Amino acid sequence: MSGATTLPERGSAVARTLAILRKELLDTLRDRRTAAVTLLSAIAAGPIFLLLIFNLIASQAERARDLALPVVGAEYAPAVVAFLERAQVSVSKAPPDYDAQIRRGDLDVVLVIDERFAADVAQGKPGTVQLVFDRSRDRARVSIDQAEALMRGYNRLWGDQRLMLRGVTASVANPLRVETSDLATPQQSGALVLFLVAYYGLFASVMGGMAVALDTTAGERERQSLEPLLMTPARPVEIVAGKWLAVCAFNALVVTLTLTGFYLTLAFAPLPPVGVPFLFGAREFVRLLLVLVPMILMLPALLLYVGSRARAYKEAQANVSVLLFVVSLIPLVQLFMQRKEPAWLVLVPVSAQYSLLNTSLRGEAPALAQLALAWLAPAALIAIALTAVARRLARESILAGR
Amino acid sequence: MIEVDGLRKAFGPRREVQAVRDVTFEAPDGEITGLLGPNGAGKTTLLRMLATLVVPDAGSARVGGLDVVADRYEVRHRIGVVSDARGLYPRLTARENVRYYGRLHGLPRRTLEARIDELFTALGLSAIADRRAAGFSQGERMKVAIARALVHDPDTILLDEPTNGLDVMSVRTLREELRTLRAHGKCLLFSSHVMQEVAALCDRIVILSSGRIVAVGTATELIARAGTSGLEDAFVALLGSDEGLAA
Repeated sequence: MSGATTLPERGSAVARTLAILRKELLDTLRDRRTAAVTLLSAIAAGPIFLLLIFNLIASQAERARDLALPVVGAEYAPAVVAFLERAQVSVSKAPPDYDAQIRRGDLDVVLVIDERFAADVAQGKPGTVQLVFDRSRDRARVSIDQAEALMRGYNRLWGDQRLMLRGVTASVANPLRVETSDLATPQQSGALVLFLVAYYGLFASVMGGMAVALDTTAGERERQSLEPLLMTPARPVEIVAGKWLAVCAFNALVVTLTLTGFYLTLAFAPLPPVGVPFLFGAREFVRLLLVLVPMILMLPALLLYVGSRARAYKEAQANVSVLLFVVSLIPLVQLFMQRKEPAWLVLVPVSAQYSLLNTSLRGEAPALAQLALAWLAPAALIAIALTAVARRLARESILAGR
Repeated sequence: MIEVDGLRKAFGPRREVQAVRDVTFEAPDGEITGLLGPNGAGKTTLLRMLATLVVPDAGSARVGGLDVVADRYEVRHRIGVVSDARGLYPRLTARENVRYYGRLHGLPRRTLEARIDELFTALGLSAIADRRAAGFSQGERMKVAIARALVHDPDTILLDEPTNGLDVMSVRTLREELRTLRAHGKCLLFSSHVMQEVAALCDRIVILSSGRIVAVGTATELIARAGTSGLEDAFVALLGSDEGLAA
């Protein structure tokens, strides 16, 4: 059965590492359901979320165009109503329970014209109109602002007319002209979309390799296939390297798919009329990927370490969840930090990447020095984590998890 | 050939569990040597030391003339091990499982594929060669584990409780396999707590109890020493009881 075959022996460390890498990738892809779910949700995340956001922006824009203003007491100030109608506002009669409707969110804003309006004006007093709204309602904000602006506009118009009748030019009452100059470039105004792409890109690099990392550490132990593996010529460091590279490869795939999803959506989906003037071309794509490389390599190392400490799959899953939870929180904390980010932030992993992602998405190229510094902490963590895993594999106690 | 000299191993934070105490024996080439003992006798620990998985506290062991501690990776090229838990990858096919280990042993592609075909034919695995290991029976798992252990044509083969969970037909196949390997001059060492297995197969038997060697010898020698009529009676007599042994 062994025949006379003298089998040429050995093989190199690289060959063994590659053999392990190939097997781990094969094994991962064989778990078709997990692989499919992970990859499909990666590519779908961008389109789904962006389209939801666009929808939101577009519907707000539409509301801005056609303001519907229910009016109480329209008969007391026909000139006001005429002004509104000329301004393309659809004026309607307010329902008797308009107060309750506004509280409920069914109505955005209502104009109430007092019955003494005409009498007050005739006596030279200001005519009172009341705008009723609930400013805490996000969706109503555009309508509220518009109604207020219209009323102010009408006040100006009416005031200017009166002055003219008295022979005074309007500029007497308006000595100060305020001009605004918004320094935000078109790219800077897509704040929400920016956050979303940055966060999701980061999120993908954190979550992408989770299932594979768990399966290749805790799963291997649970299936009791680690013991025979440790009796092959493969050194612990080769085993760790092979597994790490496999998780990194899968992680890279997930990140690329996620960014591609965003890229394609922004490139081809109909942008809302208000316009999210957002630049996400091929150059930005590459920049984002480059910023995320330290994450793509670091998270697998950390996940492998956490996974290797657990004796069973469930335990590993629990520990990994904690790690991922903490990591996902970091960008959120940064988001709420109102002040400008300190310079040393570039040395904090995850935070640095989040900052750099935002910089790139704003259309600025991150400085090379910044990119290099952002690598320091991840590189150190990778070395530490992988060494720790290799040490664990070399120890006999790893067998005790039977 | 396996040469064991004064091997010791203890576990625990204060080394309180003495798994193997001062074990000395030899397993020659071209013979099947059996490690018989009740559960907890130290058989698995002993095999793991020989497989270079566990480092002994004291004593030495040589496999194929190489020291298991100093030359551990070289030793691994020359041994094939079948663990108690076969440890196959359920999502990979039988062929892929064996191929993986062949690659880890550095076998070039064409040689490896030819070797796998050879082994599968000999073991009767050709029909399920490309089926995923997840659905395999115990007997099929055992065969794949053996193929995996033999892919690099090792001179020494270690098996831990190989007949565990096997039906009669699979046990017969296993016995034939081991005998064939013996005929090829391999050194075979397997552990068992099943007296019948050891009696049927082994040229030489090492009886272990509580980490110590109770007796070593051929079947004839042990029967003579125990003064019984049959080998199984000899086992019980030498061990002092039949607790932990199976017929």
